[in-house]
Amino acid sequence: MAAAALRWALRAAGQVLPSPCTRQVRSYFVDWRMLRDVKRRKLAYEYADERLRINAIRKNTILPKELQEVADKEIAALPRDSCPVRIRNRCVLTSRPRGVKRRWRLSRIVFRHFADHAQMSGIQRAMW
Amino acid sequence: MWGRGAGRAARCSLLFLTGRPRSKIQKLFSTSSVLSTEKDKSTTSTGSTNEVASKSPEGAAETPKQKLLNIIGNMKVEVTTKKKFQQLKTQEIKKQATDKLEGLDSSSTFQGPAEDAQRSKPLNRELVEAVSAVASSLPRSKEQTESELLAQLRRHEETTDKQRKGGTINIRNVISEMSIKRQSPAQRGVMISNRISLAMEEDGQRLKPERLSSRSFDSRRSLREGKRLNIFTKAPPETESALKTVSSPTIWDLEFAKEIAAVTDQPPRNGFEEMIQWTKEGILWEFPIDNEAGMDDDAEFHEHIFLEKHLKDFPKEGPIRHFMELVICGLSKNPYLSVKQKIEHIEWFRNYFDEKEEFLQEM
Repeated sequence: MAAAALRWALRAAGQVLPSPCTRQVRSYFVDWRMLRDVKRRKLAYEYADERLRINAIRKNTILPKELQEVADKEIAALPRDSCPVRIRNRCVLTSRPRGVKRRWRLSRIVFRHFADHAQMSGIQRAMW
Repeated sequence: MWGRGAGRAARCSLLFLTGRPRSKIQKLFSTSSVLSTEKDKSTTSTGSTNEVASKSPEGAAETPKQKLLNIIGNMKVEVTTKKKFQQLKTQEIKKQATDKLEGLDSSSTFQGPAEDAQRSKPLNRELVEAVSAVASSLPRSKEQTESELLAQLRRHEETTDKQRKGGTINIRNVISEMSIKRQSPAQRGVMISNRISLAMEEDGQRLKPERLSSRSFDSRRSLREGKRLNIFTKAPPETESALKTVSSPTIWDLEFAKEIAAVTDQPPRNGFEEMIQWTKEGILWEFPIDNEAGMDDDAEFHEHIFLEKHLKDFPKEGPIRHFMELVICGLSKNPYLSVKQKIEHIEWFRNYFDEKEEFLQEM
């Protein structure tokens, strides 16, 4: 999940597609917080396997405790940004940390703006 | 067309011909005589004389004259059975012969002795004798027939010389390889029944059983057996050089290719083209949806499940082994990882525990 979001962010950020496309291409991050979030996502992707394996040793009742303590120290030694917990699902267009719908990765305000202009596929004002 | 009585005789003689093994040139001439003749009498006579020709050259080396005369004597018996028919036509043919003596156009005259002449060039004396014998055996005037036959002989000699220079060899080789397709009555019945039953259906369905039957016959001979006909020349080996030049594209080539792509890629004219473009880019999936699209896992199920063989380097007892067996149990139930990733997972643990061995032994 993190990896996919990271790749998606990279694409939105500034990767040039091989074929000429007429869609909106952004060549900058909205703010520094968004940039830091992107870095955290990259590192989390890199260290994901290692973290999983060390945690498997730690969260264990079979292996001796000494081994588990060593594993604790090892995982603490990894870079802080490598843990996936630090990732925040920000709005892709405005970098708003709160009020973000996961399916569209947009904050509620942007979502509402696009939906009213009929630029969201399959979205309609609810009435019942 | 065939007449009633003459037709039967001709058919018998022709069947007799087809049955006998004879030389290639005689085959040619026999078929040509069948196709070219028009009169019934001429066909019967050609049939009978072809018999003569088929038999004579095989014994030509030893006693050609004797054999010829014997055969011609036998021939007399055959011809006399159709006397009435011949007598009816003699006058007509006489007239034709007189007209065409100098022109030498008709092929309705005898071609049996002509085959003799064509086959054996140095045996001219015997040919002439054969000619005289044949002429005497037939009811027509002897001198006329003799002159006709000799003219025919000369004509055929000329044509065969031309053919030899031109290269009859190809035809000979081609025909030597061909054999007569013999259908058993069962197969014949099958084919006929197929035609009758499938006459109302489409052409494509009718062709299939025929094709199968022909293939069954060809399967007897392999494609690579037999003499080479030398009809086709070998293609020059140009493909290798072409492949070599393509293998190293420079940066400028790539740039050029990108430029061309940028110019030629017009915006899509309609929704279909847009969908095609999206499918190429990977935005749209390919329909019908393939559940295994992008997944190139060639490993069998047993490689995913039975991972105990990778635990060889681990100690056989103790908590580590217990732990690793649990790891393997979890991996075997994981459908998202490839076999390589699973092996890497186990290897990482092996390396980790090897590093910690000293620490473990202290305990």
